Amino acid sequence: MSKISAPRSNREFVEACVKSGDAVRIKQEVDWDNEAGAIVRRVCELGQAAPFMEKIKDYPGFSYFGAPLSTYRRMAIALGMPPESTLPEIGKEYLKRTNSEPIAPVVIDRKDAPCKENILLGKDVDLCKLPVPLVHDGDGGRYVGTWHAVVTKHPVRGDVNWGMYRQMMWDGRTMSGAVFPFSDLGKALTEYYLPRGEGCPFATAIGLSPLAAMAACAPSPIPEPELTGMLAGEPVRLVKCETNDLEVPADAEIILEGVILPDYKVEEGPFGEYTGYRTSPRDFRVTFRVNAITYRNNATMTISNMGTPQDEGQMLRSFSLGLELEKLLRSQGIPITGVYMHPRSTHHMMIVGVKPTYAGVASQIAHLAFGSKLGPWFHMVMVVDDKTDIYNWDEVYHAFCTRCHPANGIHIYKNTVGTPLYPFATPHERKYSIGSKVLFDCLWPVDWDPVNDVPTPVSFKNVYPKEVQDRVTSNWTAYGFPPVK
Amino acid sequence: MNQWEVFVTDVAELAEGTDLELTIRTLNPGVQKYTYKRVRAQVSATPDKFGDQLQVRLGRGQLSQARFSIKVIEEVQRCPAKYL
Repeated sequence: MSKISAPRSNREFVEACVKSGDAVRIKQEVDWDNEAGAIVRRVCELGQAAPFMEKIKDYPGFSYFGAPLSTYRRMAIALGMPPESTLPEIGKEYLKRTNSEPIAPVVIDRKDAPCKENILLGKDVDLCKLPVPLVHDGDGGRYVGTWHAVVTKHPVRGDVNWGMYRQMMWDGRTMSGAVFPFSDLGKALTEYYLPRGEGCPFATAIGLSPLAAMAACAPSPIPEPELTGMLAGEPVRLVKCETNDLEVPADAEIILEGVILPDYKVEEGPFGEYTGYRTSPRDFRVTFRVNAITYRNNATMTISNMGTPQDEGQMLRSFSLGLELEKLLRSQGIPITGVYMHPRSTHHMMIVGVKPTYAGVASQIAHLAFGSKLGPWFHMVMVVDDKTDIYNWDEVYHAFCTRCHPANGIHIYKNTVGTPLYPFATPHERKYSIGSKVLFDCLWPVDWDPVNDVPTPVSFKNVYPKEVQDRVTSNWTAYGFPPVK
Repeated sequence: MNQWEVFVTDVAELAEGTDLELTIRTLNPGVQKYTYKRVRAQVSATPDKFGDQLQVRLGRGQLSQARFSIKVIEEVQRCPAKYL
């Protein structure tokens, strides 16, 4: 692998983004109570540079970095690529790196770990000492974790999980979070810790390197520390926690250590979610007791403000979910040309291009995708042929509206795995994570005669002889039209 | 005077003339703002009946126009002592 030059920490990432014009330094004081959140939200909705807020009300010495990966430009910078890289180029690089050999992390001495520069233990532990923002007015609380990794280890298998489970500050020592039962952590809790009445050690790492955050957000089967190494082209540096045996990214800005309680729950939510709504009900959810806080000098808290598109919740999740689904389908030998999730679908629609060489391929794709571990996170699969550009919504929409047979091409699946976050779900479905799915098969049936039954596309490129196309193209400006880019 | 906020599904949950167990969060300015307590309290739809003010939000964070006053009788500790 050629040497990758990607930012190794959130600080390096901020500097790289400022240098390229993809982040701005805000010098004036910003209030943690709604103002910082409002800035980040507006940045997301306008697609502007990420705000690095250097002065936070009530919290001297701390800063915020908002909307870290809410544009493809910043995703390219995170991967060490030119900011102007196209989405297919970024996707190709992601697949190349994540199909390479896993790169194991290294554990460093705690004296060399920046995240140990300040350590709060015992009665000094108080989340109110951190600039935890109220991200959206009306949220159920101040959210500690919006762009972070909750680190846990499976008690039997020993595999490490970094997951981006949102965490709300309930009081100075307590957080509550949305951990769904089908997630890795949810399974470990329901299969092991809760039946035994044992606490589950956790650590929350905030202000991660962008590639560690990307790994924590990616639904990949590769353990996140190794995945981070593969994305970065070198091992990620970990350091042991103060109060448990977990290892956390040494270059993270803030670390919270503690225990997930098996016999105590507090309320969580509501919260502005990636779908663009507050949907999931306020409920008693998984509860985290914090036993230690460590942080860097002049620590930066990262903020993702989820809401209407587009923010990290849609951009990065659509990106990595789509590519992981592409890997899955290719591993099964499906003749696909690619998979794309448009961020504005809030990663609810999987668009698949396929060479339709046999009957039922669209159903095969839907069954594999919906039946996979990734299935709960989307509910629409749209399958188009290999001539349709899956990245071009105009082409996909045209295919959908003209080739999807209303009676034969739409397949509905009921009583699937869902999440409480689906805005369309009934209150009952939200409470019990019950889903439903739909396949839009936009392929011409293979039993149609390709000459006499399949309609012919009528377009400039398709119906005119090449010589006529060339003549018209070369004379375009001579006809009086402006040049075509 | 303290300012508090409570989340309810229906304002009717805030019955007057009886002790209620509520999860409330402080709206007092400062770094503790929005932290929660579980309390036993009485509430009133008469804004000045009790010493503290209570603001109400509904299920998805919508701010209710209803304004209450509240008297916190005592804090209720639900967290098992072994974790404190």
